[in-house]
Amino acid sequence: MSTILEKISAAVFAGDSEKTESLVQKGLDENVSVKEILDNGLVLGMGEVGARFKRGEMFVPEVLMSAEAMHTGLELLRPLLAESNIDRSGKIMLATVKGDLHDIGKNLVGMMCEGEGFEVVDLGFNVGPDVIVEKIKEHQPDIVGLSAMLTTTMRAMGHTIKAIEEAGLRDKVKVIVGGAPVDKEFADRIGADGYGSNAVAGPELARQLLGK
Amino acid sequence: MRTNYRVNSGVRFRMLSDDQLQELVDGVLHVLEYTGLDVYHEESRDILKKAGAWVDGIRVRIPSHLVRKSLDLAPRSFTVFSRDGNPKNNINIGPGRAHFGPGPTCPNFIDVESMERRPYVKSDVPLVAKVVDALPNIDFCESLGTVNDVHHELGATYEFAGMFPNTSKPIVAWSYDYDDSVDIHKIAVAEAGGQEAFERRPNYIHYCEPLSPLVSTEDALNKLVFAAKHRIPLIFTPCPIAGGTAPVTAAGIITQAAAESWMGLTIAQALQPGLPFIMGGVLSVMDMSSMILAYGAPELSLFMAGLTELAHYVGLPLWQTGGCTDSKTLDEQAAIEGSLSVYFSALSGGDLCHDVGYTESAMTGSVFQLAMMDESIGYARRITRGIEVNEETLAVEVIDNVGPNGHFLREQHTRDHYRTEFWYPNLCDRRNYEEWEMMGSTPMRDRVVARVHDILATHEPSPIKPETEKVIEEVLAAAEDRVREK
Repeated sequence: MSTILEKISAAVFAGDSEKTESLVQKGLDENVSVKEILDNGLVLGMGEVGARFKRGEMFVPEVLMSAEAMHTGLELLRPLLAESNIDRSGKIMLATVKGDLHDIGKNLVGMMCEGEGFEVVDLGFNVGPDVIVEKIKEHQPDIVGLSAMLTTTMRAMGHTIKAIEEAGLRDKVKVIVGGAPVDKEFADRIGADGYGSNAVAGPELARQLLGK
Repeated sequence: MRTNYRVNSGVRFRMLSDDQLQELVDGVLHVLEYTGLDVYHEESRDILKKAGAWVDGIRVRIPSHLVRKSLDLAPRSFTVFSRDGNPKNNINIGPGRAHFGPGPTCPNFIDVESMERRPYVKSDVPLVAKVVDALPNIDFCESLGTVNDVHHELGATYEFAGMFPNTSKPIVAWSYDYDDSVDIHKIAVAEAGGQEAFERRPNYIHYCEPLSPLVSTEDALNKLVFAAKHRIPLIFTPCPIAGGTAPVTAAGIITQAAAESWMGLTIAQALQPGLPFIMGGVLSVMDMSSMILAYGAPELSLFMAGLTELAHYVGLPLWQTGGCTDSKTLDEQAAIEGSLSVYFSALSGGDLCHDVGYTESAMTGSVFQLAMMDESIGYARRITRGIEVNEETLAVEVIDNVGPNGHFLREQHTRDHYRTEFWYPNLCDRRNYEEWEMMGSTPMRDRVVARVHDILATHEPSPIKPETEKVIEEVLAAAEDRVREK
């Protein structure tokens, strides 16, 4: 029983999507519990990846491969997770703020979050505060993640948070920010709930804020 | 199919034209033929005379045809082998290859615990060798010091005995004279499995230093003759100082240094045709206010680049110099002088670049400077490795796949190449501010010190054979007996 979980964990760690998928299926066929597969297989493997990334022993392309492998495994588990009433995920809405066409960093955060089981709603780039407010009402996310690449557009993050406040939605969502020119001091100044310095930090930050 | 396609794959530079290099060669030949050198060694004078040189008392002049013949006999490419058979630690000398290592004989050392400057002692030797063994961009070993706490004739013997078990990277062995050269050779030969086995796969290089201007000293030639007879790869490296013991001009000091080194070459090739010979030396300026030989001077790098081009023009490998500083401590001056000379040395493609880890104008050896320069050498090596151009690296298909506003992080192409295309620092910090703060807000200096302490606490060099350990004990005991009455 333990070996299949170890293998799943190892496949996620190795970033092998195909192997992860077939092993998760095998685990389910062998009646290993969904919770076991998730906690002691997928999450364990991804946890090791995160720890090594932090120590500078793994690099972004490998982390992305592992995130993809985890995502593949999770897709198999998702219907069963709902049945078993295991709620691990939260909903994250992502957008690059108004005036900024930089998409990549935000997409990476999305991939990492999906990989770790979050539901991701991506609004794309150059998204104005009014659109973000509307979409919060529509999707009711737990977290709104704002991205900006330029010192000229990072101010729009502040404007967006203000618009969310004015719409009376500020206590309904956590707002996190990131992007090349952003640092913690700026995040605090504009009243964000959290700041991530890179894509890999995204899901960890989300989990902290949601207490998961 | 490509045809008649020319590849330049590394960043290299060349300063002097063929015409200029030929003029330098002619200058060297002129000095050797018409001025000559004083040779304080009877056996060498006899060897030279037999080979066709003109001997007048101690003054020896060499006709240019004899020098040319000697240049032809010496190989441009050869291998110095690791003592334990690890091919990663072999040094393959040849065109387009630059190797790095420390230098010998500093009187002082930066204590690895107190960080204070004090006389170099016997117990420092294994530490230096261990650090050399662990650092990925350091290729050969010297001790960074003269052992002060043993009999004054046995420093080099203890030095080699302390280095040899603690690194399998080839050692460049400095010695005082004949007797300690014999001690060193006994140890190396024991590990190689006898003299014949050593000649097939030499595991160290012998280092001799003549005197500038234009003197081949008795001890330097005692050592040279011993090395040549035993087919030990040989460095013959003068240390002229521009404006003091050599002409003040770059071309002048290069000409004189080459003449001094080629005297050694001629003797060595007459004794042992085809002996691997590495041309020296260390060329720099006399600082006209402090009178030191400046190890951090831009002229050092420039003179050494000129000397390298001359050596390669005549088909010899060169004993390069870099990674050294006049600074007294591990500071910004040490980083600037060390890094620039390392980079310049790598660009010129000098074959063995020594004195990495010298501080205070060669007065004080420092493993901290050595460890910091390991990072600079890695950096320089990534640049000199250059740009590879082919269908795979052009990535036209990958660019097409990703298209506008996509990203490359998920591409197999990225995964296949990011580890080899990029250089990853060991000491330079690229973290964001918060993470850097979380890790203790360390400056470079602290990270260098931590790396050295980590190596000393954890690194295990590959062991020498038990029989070699016994030979080392015997050699040291016999050496102590030899000097008892002195």
